[in-house]
Order: sequence, then structure tokens, then C-alpha cells
Amino acid sequence: MELEKLKELIVDVLNVDPNEIKDDTKFIDDLGADSLDVYQIIMGIEDEFGIKLPEDKIEKITTVGEAVELIKEVND
Amino acid sequence: MTEKVRVAVDAMGGDLAPTEVVKGAIEAAKENDLVKVFLVGQEDKINVELAKYEYDHERIEVVNATEVIEMAEAPVLAIRNKKDSSIVKAMYMVKHGEADAYVSAGSTGANLVGGQLIVGRIKGVERAPLAPFIPTEKGVSLLIDCGANVDARSSHLVQFAKMGSIYYESVMQKRNPTVALLSIGVEEDKGNALVKETYPLLKNCPDINFIGNIEARDISSGVADVIVTEAFAGNIALKMYEGVAKTMFSTLKKGLLSSTRAKIGALLIKPALKETLKDFNIDKYGGAPMLGLNGLVVKTHGSSKAVEIKNSILQCVVFKEHNVNDKIREVLNLQDAHVKA
Repeated sequence: MELEKLKELIVDVLNVDPNEIKDDTKFIDDLGADSLDVYQIIMGIEDEFGIKLPEDKIEKITTVGEAVELIKEVND
Repeated sequence: MTEKVRVAVDAMGGDLAPTEVVKGAIEAAKENDLVKVFLVGQEDKINVELAKYEYDHERIEVVNATEVIEMAEAPVLAIRNKKDSSIVKAMYMVKHGEADAYVSAGSTGANLVGGQLIVGRIKGVERAPLAPFIPTEKGVSLLIDCGANVDARSSHLVQFAKMGSIYYESVMQKRNPTVALLSIGVEEDKGNALVKETYPLLKNCPDINFIGNIEARDISSGVADVIVTEAFAGNIALKMYEGVAKTMFSTLKKGLLSSTRAKIGALLIKPALKETLKDFNIDKYGGAPMLGLNGLVVKTHGSSKAVEIKNSILQCVVFKEHNVNDKIREVLNLQDAHVKA
């Protein structure tokens, strides 16, 4: 569920093909995002799940899989 | 157009807020019947200022926001953590369709970040540039981008050129404005990798009137209506422009007051000088818009007085009247753009 929602937001923000998005896809290197794009996606996730992700951990996110893990961790 | 243009104004932003912001909002509402202003900020302070004026209460409304984002705060953290700040709350009004546009004299960083994170880009717009008008010998030119995109790509610059062209055409009422690329030489092969890659893309772009490269020294002559660059060079060019103007004026003033003879001369040329310098006053055009967002975000400078705030609010009316965002969607062919594949 987290991955699907995340995919939707990534497609929405970055205008990319959803088939390009895998666990090991890198936001910046593979999807052409910049740091603000990543924050935009993260804020969308926070709104969607009603959670707040810690800043220090957001800054370390490089791949889609890492973002999913962080969402799950905070959700739990 | 009879529909009201609803503008959410950051009442706490800028060195002279809320006094000058409130005054500017009142003046804008008086000058144009289409304006409806939401003054977003600490209501007790705003109400003290509002009490000084008689105004149409239906067209000036206060929206309470208890926090203020200071100039020195880290923009991303401030936008994420200060949910009840005037900037964040006013931007959410645009995002939620409660306002058509947003005006602020507050922190540039927070406004640029908030514009992207809260208001959000039009689908398919890769980056949202900040595009101030700068005075030139022939009038004004639009310098796009001076904002946050310091590492832009060629596809971003092509979009900046198209959006800048649309905005210039709408606001200045000039058909087919000229577009130039800022470089270190006018020849096609001059420039860094980004400029060299962008040049042929702009040359072959049917939506704009591309006239080639422009050097920084030619900006002030008004050679091009729209000057395209990434924000790193754009911001340097803008600040250099402001700095040179400031130094020239202070040096001139010093010279004119240096002796009795000079002072007499100064008195004689004062009216002509004043009249000439009027052309360099760009306050009437309002602030710098951040283009390509789902709504209009206007950033006016930190020391804005009522007149700049007023003109920035009125600028939102022009933006809406001319359907700038619809035109951007149309020219960038974004109606159905969702995925690249």
C-alpha cells in the first residue's frame, strides 16, 4: 500500500512512467528529481498517511525502497 | 471579467510588515473592484493597522496565523514545521482553491520552497522559475530564472523561455516578445555546456521569438524582452545589476554635492534627472512571479512599501485576466501530460 501510494505521488510530482519506479530506483539519479521534489513527495505521503517523517531520516533517503521502509517504520 | 480575484497576502512578511502590507492591501482594494484580499497573519497586529482605515469589509478579510517565518530560518524546515505561519497558511489557501494568488515580501527562500512544496507545479512543468522585471533603456525585460533552480537542465530553460514569453506578452501587451539566452558571447558556440545544449533547442522552438545569445552588458540596453538563464547566473546578474545601480547613484550624489558649483548644477538638472529616473522605476509592475505553479505566487522585495504591495496585488488581477496559467498549459502541451511513456 505504501509503495503504491508513493508511486502515485512520484508519477504526479515527477511526471515519470510508473513502470520506471522500482524499489532500488534512485530519486535523483534515476528519476531526475531534486531535493525539493523529494520533499514534495514526502509531504504528500505525510498528508496521505497523517504522519510526520523525521527530518534527519528524510535527508538520508536516496531510493524509493528506503522511502517505503521509512514510511512503514513511522506507521508502525 | 467580473469574477473577484482572491489574493492571499502574507501580512507578516517583509521589513515593514504588517503596517505597509495592510496599507497596500487597502489601496489595492480601493483601486480595483475585482480585488478581494485575505490578510494572513497575526490578527491582533493586523487589526490594529486595519483600524486606521475605512474599507469594504467584504473585500478585506483577516485570516489568523499565529506563527511567522523569519528571514534567517532554513526554508524547508520552516515550511514543514511552521504550519500556522502566515506564509504556509496563505499558500495552502491557494492550494485548496480558497485564493487565486499569493503575495509576500517575506523570506525569499521560504516563498520559493513553499511555492513548490505547497502550491505545487502545474503538471508537466519541470521547474518553477522566479522571473522579475528589470528596468532597461527600452522599458523592462524579464529575467527568468533568478530563483531556486541553480542546477537547471536544458529542458528546464526551454520551458522557462516559453513561460517567460507568455507572461511578458500578457503583462506587457507585446506580441511575440524577443527571447535571448544569457551567455558569455553572442555566437552560438559560446557558453558553458548548459548554454550550448540549450541554444539549438531554443533556436528550433516554434513557440518563441528566439534572437540568440545575449551578453550581460547588453541586458540594460533592452536588447531582449525575455532573458533566459538558470538561477545561479540569473541571480548573480540581478544582484550585480542592483549593486551597480546603487553604486552609480551614490557616486553621482556624492559628486553633485561635492562643491557649491556642483550643487548649483545639481539643482538645475534635478527635474530632468527625476523625470529620466522615473523610467527606471519598476514598482508599477509589482513583484517577481514564480511561474508554472497551480496558482500565482508573487514575491516582492523585503523592504516593500504599500505601493509595491498594492501593485503586486493588482498584478494578480492581470495574471488572472490574461489566463496566464491556461496559456502556459496550452503552450507546454500539458493538458494530457501525465507520464512520459
